[in-house]
Amino acid sequence: MSAAQETAALAPARAKQRAISPSRGGRPWTFYVLAALFTFYVVALYGPMICIYILSFQDVRGGLVFPMKGLSLHWFIDLFTQVRTGDVKGAFDRSIKLAILVTVITVVVSFMAAMAFRRRFPGDNVVFSLMIGSLVAPGLVLGIGVGLLFNALGIDTSWYGSALGAQLSWTLPFGVLVMFAVMSRFNPAWEEAARDLGATPWQTIRLVIIPVLAPGLVAVALFGFTLSYDEFARTLQTAGPQNTLPLEIWSMTLNVTSPSLYALGTVTTIISFTIIGTALGAIVLMQKRRGARAGGH
Amino acid sequence: MTVSRPLVGWLYISPLMLVLIPFFVLPILVVMVASVFETDGFGGLIPTFTLANYRNVLTSALTFNLYYETVKFTVLTWFFTLVLGFFIAYFLVFHVRSPLLAIGLFLICTVPFWTSNIIRMISWIPLLGKEGLINSALLRLGLIHEPLTFLLYSSFAVVVAYVHQLTIFMIVPIFNSMARIDKRVVEAAVDAGASRLDIMRLIVVPLSKSGIALGSIFVASIVMGDFFVTKVMSGGSSASVVGAFYEDISVLQYPGAAASAIVLTVILLAMVSLILRTVDIRKEITQ
Amino acid sequence: MVSRGDIELAGLSKSYDGVHSVVHGINLKIPDGAYCCFLGPSGCGKTTILRMIAGHEDPTDGEIVIGGENVVGLAPVQRGTAMMFQSYALFPHLSVRDNIAFALRVRGMSKADRYRQTDAMIEKVRLTELAERLPAQLSGGQQQRVALARAAITEPRVLLLDEPLSALDEQLRVQMRLELQRMQRELGITFVHVTHSQLEAIALADMVVVMEAGQIKQAGPAREVYASPMDRYVAEFLGGQNVLSGKVETIEGGRLMFAQPDRMTLAAPLRGNLRVGIGDRIDVAVRRDDIELLRPNAAISPQNQSALSSRVLAIEYQGSFVKVMLDAIADEEFVAYVPERVFFKDPLSIGDVVLATWAIDHARLLERT
Repeated sequence: MSAAQETAALAPARAKQRAISPSRGGRPWTFYVLAALFTFYVVALYGPMICIYILSFQDVRGGLVFPMKGLSLHWFIDLFTQVRTGDVKGAFDRSIKLAILVTVITVVVSFMAAMAFRRRFPGDNVVFSLMIGSLVAPGLVLGIGVGLLFNALGIDTSWYGSALGAQLSWTLPFGVLVMFAVMSRFNPAWEEAARDLGATPWQTIRLVIIPVLAPGLVAVALFGFTLSYDEFARTLQTAGPQNTLPLEIWSMTLNVTSPSLYALGTVTTIISFTIIGTALGAIVLMQKRRGARAGGH
Repeated sequence: MTVSRPLVGWLYISPLMLVLIPFFVLPILVVMVASVFETDGFGGLIPTFTLANYRNVLTSALTFNLYYETVKFTVLTWFFTLVLGFFIAYFLVFHVRSPLLAIGLFLICTVPFWTSNIIRMISWIPLLGKEGLINSALLRLGLIHEPLTFLLYSSFAVVVAYVHQLTIFMIVPIFNSMARIDKRVVEAAVDAGASRLDIMRLIVVPLSKSGIALGSIFVASIVMGDFFVTKVMSGGSSASVVGAFYEDISVLQYPGAAASAIVLTVILLAMVSLILRTVDIRKEITQ
Repeated sequence: MVSRGDIELAGLSKSYDGVHSVVHGINLKIPDGAYCCFLGPSGCGKTTILRMIAGHEDPTDGEIVIGGENVVGLAPVQRGTAMMFQSYALFPHLSVRDNIAFALRVRGMSKADRYRQTDAMIEKVRLTELAERLPAQLSGGQQQRVALARAAITEPRVLLLDEPLSALDEQLRVQMRLELQRMQRELGITFVHVTHSQLEAIALADMVVVMEAGQIKQAGPAREVYASPMDRYVAEFLGGQNVLSGKVETIEGGRLMFAQPDRMTLAAPLRGNLRVGIGDRIDVAVRRDDIELLRPNAAISPQNQSALSSRVLAIEYQGSFVKVMLDAIADEEFVAYVPERVFFKDPLSIGDVVLATWAIDHARLLERT
């Protein structure tokens, strides 16, 4: 191993000086540096959003920046009642429905695709390249392309049609990549054992493969939901006349200059958290029931 | 084995193809076709075959400037997300002792991404703006006498927004790669007298190559393909390639926009295949 | 009348992409109810043969006949075989009971019925208190019993075991060997067991099949393969033998004299069915426990004994005997197993010069392949 050769080549004195001595239970100095970095990252990550959440609770005098003026639910009410702020409820509704559709389709299709990729088949490299291409291509370009295509074919663009497909072109490659990683921990001997004991291919999938991969499938579902709920570029040109939530927010940022926008941020966050929290709770429950060592990836 | 194996493979892959073909392959083809058409000036397309659009795109000084700006942001973002992402993943994998705590901390990092992208962008205003928290704090502490303007609506703000949004895309694949490193290899290195820097340089970095590559692909392709972060966070002073594309579309300059889009896509694909050449992602992920 | 569990392999071959041949034309008959061990190093094809019998791989050529019917092309479940996988492949998400009941579940048996049968089997392998546990919570030996029960519940006529003991530590291995023997006798079916450990094979098997590079070198009862190996490969693989080679110099009186390069001429008895001529290169095997070590000035009778002067290279205490390694043959191992009590009456040290002697009639001419 060249790494070992290299380290062995270090002058003994120098090596002894820099060698790591067994810890006496304490932490090396690098731990504190990295921990500080991590803390900084988390604070920077949450900081901006927390500002928004706080500011959304201002009262009617509130502006877009600190200092905070008052404390009330005024802007939340404003958000849901004022017509001028757009069809927020409708956009919410559509985004959730679309995200659920995308999630279900992503899980099923990613699972099937990852099953296919376990063995070589003619054209598998082409499919893999297409997948990476779909992941990498600029979202807006694809969005425009889909819009043009649908126009040329005379089909109307809609959030449940063209936008669904456009979002899938983004979530499926992610889903398949995650499934690749998940499946690499799947022992093919389990499948053979099931076959040996008399299970049909469908029984093997139903009774062995899916239950074992279940936490991974939930992870794919999480990815799919998050990516869809937040998707903007590809949806922009393909959603048709009715907006999804990101599109609605986008038009609001262009028109609205009040904290009702912040209130919207707070509400959408609560919804995402609830959904994803439930999903994670499901994974934890499944792992517990399986009695697997907690924390095993 | 009753059904032939290739057939089964194709059966399982067909749903994926059913999505990829109409929503990736065909749209790209449509854009390619549009790029060789002419515009009638009113948003209509005249079906011909002309390379004039490409000539315009490739020879225009505007194009060069746009790519310069976009690539500048891409490289800066890539660099900072890589450094941050690498060390955070390293911290989580090698310094956090309990696997449960590591997963917990990891989740804490992913939680912000359950909120809307756009909300996260506008959330910079109360923080970085002239009347924002940072400026107020610095003024109050007497460290500055005037609010710092470069914090918001500047190149600095663009990079901050991108790094904030995309570091997670580096953390996840790198974390995944690092977690697979057999700890005994590290122990053997310690045994041979390696310092912490040696271990990082000679063992951890080479073995996380696939995670770094995958993360780089995500970050680079997202930044190069983005249009609104640059526009909003720079206050309109910086432009991006896709931003210009969006504007061309808004004024119905379809063929020109299409040509520019194809050029960008080709560049992106070339970049990605270069990165993929250094590491066989498929093999690494499926092992 | 053909018994249900007897196996016949005829011309069985397996090659990948038409180039890489792993198994070459295997012919073998395994009687019903026998414990048969396939023995050989990694890559010799033994696992491939097992998997072909099981139906998890298709042969490129040849027939596999179980209980009188050719099973090539049939799915594993249709063959009446069951396989116990290396590292067991227990379903990680199912309890012991559900793991064992799996085969019954996929056949559509009701929960009550299959649990009844499963519990009976769990009793047989003595895992009753652990029935609710998950595989991750079991020890290696317990996992193996679950794997065995899971395979046996389908009432197969042949049980196939893929290196079942290699994942276990020494003590457990010896224990589980007895367990396997017991199960085989109780079930009364044919066991085909693949291993690379010769001790395991000769301890368990009624029939040992020694393989090398896709071919069978020798198949027969354990004693035959160990004490009367056919050629150098089998002799060396089974251990317990020293193999001397040389050129035949003279043949007379039922014996031949062969000379090793730079060494003394030695005698060996002829074997009826092996034809040798003067000048032929031959291999002769001498059992390690047939070698008596004497001090250099001891008396020997050249008519009945061979003797090689040699130096002691290494000594290994093995409990009931002592392994003494000598430099009798240049570049090759020459080992004597000396009974413990005999050794310690006059212990040797490294570097001592001794006379390695054996009865000429105990030397065995091997086939040359």
